[in-house]
Amino acid sequence: MVKIFIDEKPVETKEGATIFKAAQEAGIPIPHLCYHPAFEPEGTCRMCLVEIEGVPKLELACSTQVREGMKIFTRNERVVEARKGVLEFLCAEHPLDCPICDQAGECKLQDYYEEYGLFDSQFREVKEKRRKKAQIAKNLIHDQERCVLCRRCVRFLREVTGTREMGVFERGNHTEVNILDEINIDNNYSGNLAEICPVGAITDSDFRFKTRSWFLAEGDSICPHCSRGCSVSIHYNSAFHRFPVPKRVFRVNSRTNPDINGYWICDIGRYAYPYIDKNRCDKIIFNNDNTQLSWESAIPLIAKKMRRLKDMDNTSHLAIIMNTWLTNEELFLLKKLFVDYFQAENIFFVDPPHGEADDVLLTAERTPNRKGAVEIGFDLRPLDWSELSGNTDILLIFGSFLTGQTDSGEVKTHLDKIETKILLTPHSSDLDALMDIILPTAVIPEKSGSLTNVDGIVQEFAPVLEGIGESQPEWKILIDLAKLMNADFSVKTFTSPAVILEEMGKEIAFFKKRQ
Amino acid sequence: MAEKLLTKLFDVENAHTIDIYIQKNGYRAIQKALKEMTPEQILEEVKAANLRGRGGAGFPAGVKWGFVPKTVDKPKYLCVNADEGEPGTFKDRYIMTHNPHLLLEGIIISSYCVGIHTAYIYIRGEYEVIALRLEEAIAEAYAKGYLGKDILGSGFDLDVYVHRGAGAYICGEETALLESLEGKRGNPRLKPPFPASIGLFKCPTVINNIETLANVPLIILNGADWFKQKGLPKDGGTRIFGVSGMVAKPGIYELPIGTPLKDIIFEHAGGMKKGKKLKAVIPGGMSAPVLTADEINVAMDFDSLVEAKSMLGSGAIIVIDQDTSMLEVLRLVAKFYSHESCGQCTPCRIGNAWIRKTVDRMANGAGQKGDIDNIIRVASNILGKTLCPLGDAAAMPILSITQKFREELESHIKGQG
Amino acid sequence: MSPEFSDQTKQKIAEVIARYPQKKAALLPVLHLVQQEIGHISAAEEIQLAGLLELKPIQVREVVTFYTMYNRQPVGKYHIQVCSNLSCSLLGAQSLIDYLKDKLGIDLGETTSDKKFTLTTVECLGACEHAPCMMVNFDYYGKLSKKTIDEILDHLE
Repeated sequence: MVKIFIDEKPVETKEGATIFKAAQEAGIPIPHLCYHPAFEPEGTCRMCLVEIEGVPKLELACSTQVREGMKIFTRNERVVEARKGVLEFLCAEHPLDCPICDQAGECKLQDYYEEYGLFDSQFREVKEKRRKKAQIAKNLIHDQERCVLCRRCVRFLREVTGTREMGVFERGNHTEVNILDEINIDNNYSGNLAEICPVGAITDSDFRFKTRSWFLAEGDSICPHCSRGCSVSIHYNSAFHRFPVPKRVFRVNSRTNPDINGYWICDIGRYAYPYIDKNRCDKIIFNNDNTQLSWESAIPLIAKKMRRLKDMDNTSHLAIIMNTWLTNEELFLLKKLFVDYFQAENIFFVDPPHGEADDVLLTAERTPNRKGAVEIGFDLRPLDWSELSGNTDILLIFGSFLTGQTDSGEVKTHLDKIETKILLTPHSSDLDALMDIILPTAVIPEKSGSLTNVDGIVQEFAPVLEGIGESQPEWKILIDLAKLMNADFSVKTFTSPAVILEEMGKEIAFFKKRQ
Repeated sequence: MAEKLLTKLFDVENAHTIDIYIQKNGYRAIQKALKEMTPEQILEEVKAANLRGRGGAGFPAGVKWGFVPKTVDKPKYLCVNADEGEPGTFKDRYIMTHNPHLLLEGIIISSYCVGIHTAYIYIRGEYEVIALRLEEAIAEAYAKGYLGKDILGSGFDLDVYVHRGAGAYICGEETALLESLEGKRGNPRLKPPFPASIGLFKCPTVINNIETLANVPLIILNGADWFKQKGLPKDGGTRIFGVSGMVAKPGIYELPIGTPLKDIIFEHAGGMKKGKKLKAVIPGGMSAPVLTADEINVAMDFDSLVEAKSMLGSGAIIVIDQDTSMLEVLRLVAKFYSHESCGQCTPCRIGNAWIRKTVDRMANGAGQKGDIDNIIRVASNILGKTLCPLGDAAAMPILSITQKFREELESHIKGQG
Repeated sequence: MSPEFSDQTKQKIAEVIARYPQKKAALLPVLHLVQQEIGHISAAEEIQLAGLLELKPIQVREVVTFYTMYNRQPVGKYHIQVCSNLSCSLLGAQSLIDYLKDKLGIDLGETTSDKKFTLTTVECLGACEHAPCMMVNFDYYGKLSKKTIDEILDHLE
């Protein structure tokens, strides 16, 4: 460790650290554009220049290593003047697009100008005219006039995806970043480009003109679309009521996690967020009767049917179709209730189909908790209708993944042979008409729990959004159901997923929390 | 008559061929270096001679060689900087054209000293004809066993290749030269790390100017003390000054370091062209701050010019007359640097273009009050803030012209002056 | 249809590549060789070279657009590049540039309709003692005047 001084404040930091990292750890922000922790420092934007006592020229914080006793000034007069100088250059060739630019409110240029600039323009010349509004990917729009040539996009496509769709062309003030000859960017990580662009030069066409960044609130969550379990940030409308809002979630951004996804998320996870708000099932539906069911009446109804099966020793007539989108806690409850207590045998898993893995983040499995299900003791049996129909009285289906997997005519034939069909799902689908009871459930951003990723990392998450309508998380439904079983088992005493996870740690070594 | 050391054979017919060169006592220096001296002894001699770089930066060659780690498990490289892009400079062209073997001797001795077995001569693309002459000289040297394996039976191997640039002044900057040699855009690199440790292909590399290396055989043959006598104790040897502009006899003049600028112009280069009066002089290539007619009594050595708030640079002297508009000079300076900026870093990329746009507007008669202050402010925001010295190379002459000739510049703005 | 390089050029390219420990370091000299044969570097040449040097075409384009000596468009049989830098301008380069524009009937950056001459300006050629200078293909001409320019152009077949 070395001891240095930043703005006269003593700071201890690792030997060989850069001034930037040391300042960051000490909570002292240093303006920067081209620097990004994922890449080696470039040192070209010149925003991070700081003063080091005894050194005549200002030096870059992003690439200069600290030495014992170094005295650094990050916002004295000389440094602020230099920052103003750089800002002035950037603004001189920057278009006045703020009113129509999506980056507004989260734009580094705006932020730094507000903090260090606030000068009137002295640029009396004609700005360079460049390409605006070019679609360079299905999801990306490129505006070269806004570009500050930090070249983060070029470095990303070189070092992360290796696809190199963008390059730096020409020289001097004609230098531009661009794709080659209209060959669009086409890889599974392109959405990250809009995130790392510090200004509005690369923007996401999915987000374009939909809302202003300052209307959005953020919440931490975990991406459920494959078993990598990347950390994400869900950006949702925090109830700005001037206009009717058709949806809550406007985008999903990546969240830095050095153990799992680093700085990035893939496009599949990034753009799948409509599943949170679209087509939601928000009411309990009872198809056989004109009576309205509520949770107070639905759970006892179902529990009674199940108890009857148990009493008649016909528990083999209970079948369950599960999936690996369920959390660790929900799967554990299901095991306790239906495997241990009910001794049911016909337990199947129906998940969305596997896809192709890539060598960056995306796994072949497209569900978040396959490993969790395995560690809890399930053998992930695929659905076999022949085992089900004929002698099944009650079928519990979790999730609507049967839609589109089996020809629904065939599904209907099998289902017609089953007396009671109960569907627990967050989404409406064509399965609904074939069900007796539909219970609306929460999606992952609306509940708490934990998921086990492909490498065995257990990640707990908290809710970001409120549940909609009558929906409830599966864990709560299962506990309520268990309470009405004629058995004295501990499940009845569980009050929250956190409590469940602790219990899991006592029973299953894998889930024992590591300090 | 000034003593000719580097330029001795320039007027001798066919001195660029190896047979004539050997006849005129050529290739004796490598005999002495490879057979009678150790690399350490060569390094000490060159250090003691105070041979400063002739490319522009003036860094002592011996010190630079000393930075290269002695033993390392990677190959080491020598890059010979023949990019000669500094406006006003043409001396290296003469060395390569008229005495390429002197250069090759310098390359061989330096490589032997540092433990280098591959040297690339990075020559500017426009010097195609000269590149061919270099290739011929190299082929002649290989044929005589002065290049290739086991040179003179010393056990030392060396390969020399010519690598042509393609029209970029910035590639004269040592790290941009390395990038260009690696087949990339000529973008200068951050320093540290320095080329002596991480250079070409991430290996230890020495980069030296043509004229610098051409002095090495002379130092080996005659010794460091002799070399210092020919110039100044702190700054040994002669320089090949290139004089151009409004003088009667533009051309190269090999003179001791420390020769007064005034003498070079009026004694050697024939003084002003007929009917012209001296207005300003650029003493060391376009990047050097301009000197007014009153300031030319300065000695042409590194320290004296720094004291005079200019620089020796490449020793290229451009003489400007009273009939030339300094606004035009400023326009040409701004045009050059904005054209040659690599575009990587914000101040140089945008600042130089900004200045060029303003000066062009002034030259078109549309200058406004405050334009000159703007130019000074922009140039000051470039100075010292850029990734590589090109920013300073642009800002310094622009600041010197706007400061020393402000009145004249303002006279071009309506309502001013 | 991408043009194949001649055997002679291919041979020279192979020789040049062998001088470097990494293939891609040969890019600048190889671009010169290709331009010598074909006259300019178009997308087709970029793709071929990228394959030869184990690069992506975009990397070749990045280099081609950085350096001024690589022609992106075809040029005339004689590419006249007049120096417009300081020493040459002091000695009258600007009026000579105007003279050439007039004489050839083209503007800077353009080629005569018989495809014989292309006219551009260039920065310092490193021959300031012979100012004003121009380079025709790779031949330097100095101490220019309208008269000597006429003579030079007349001698170019």
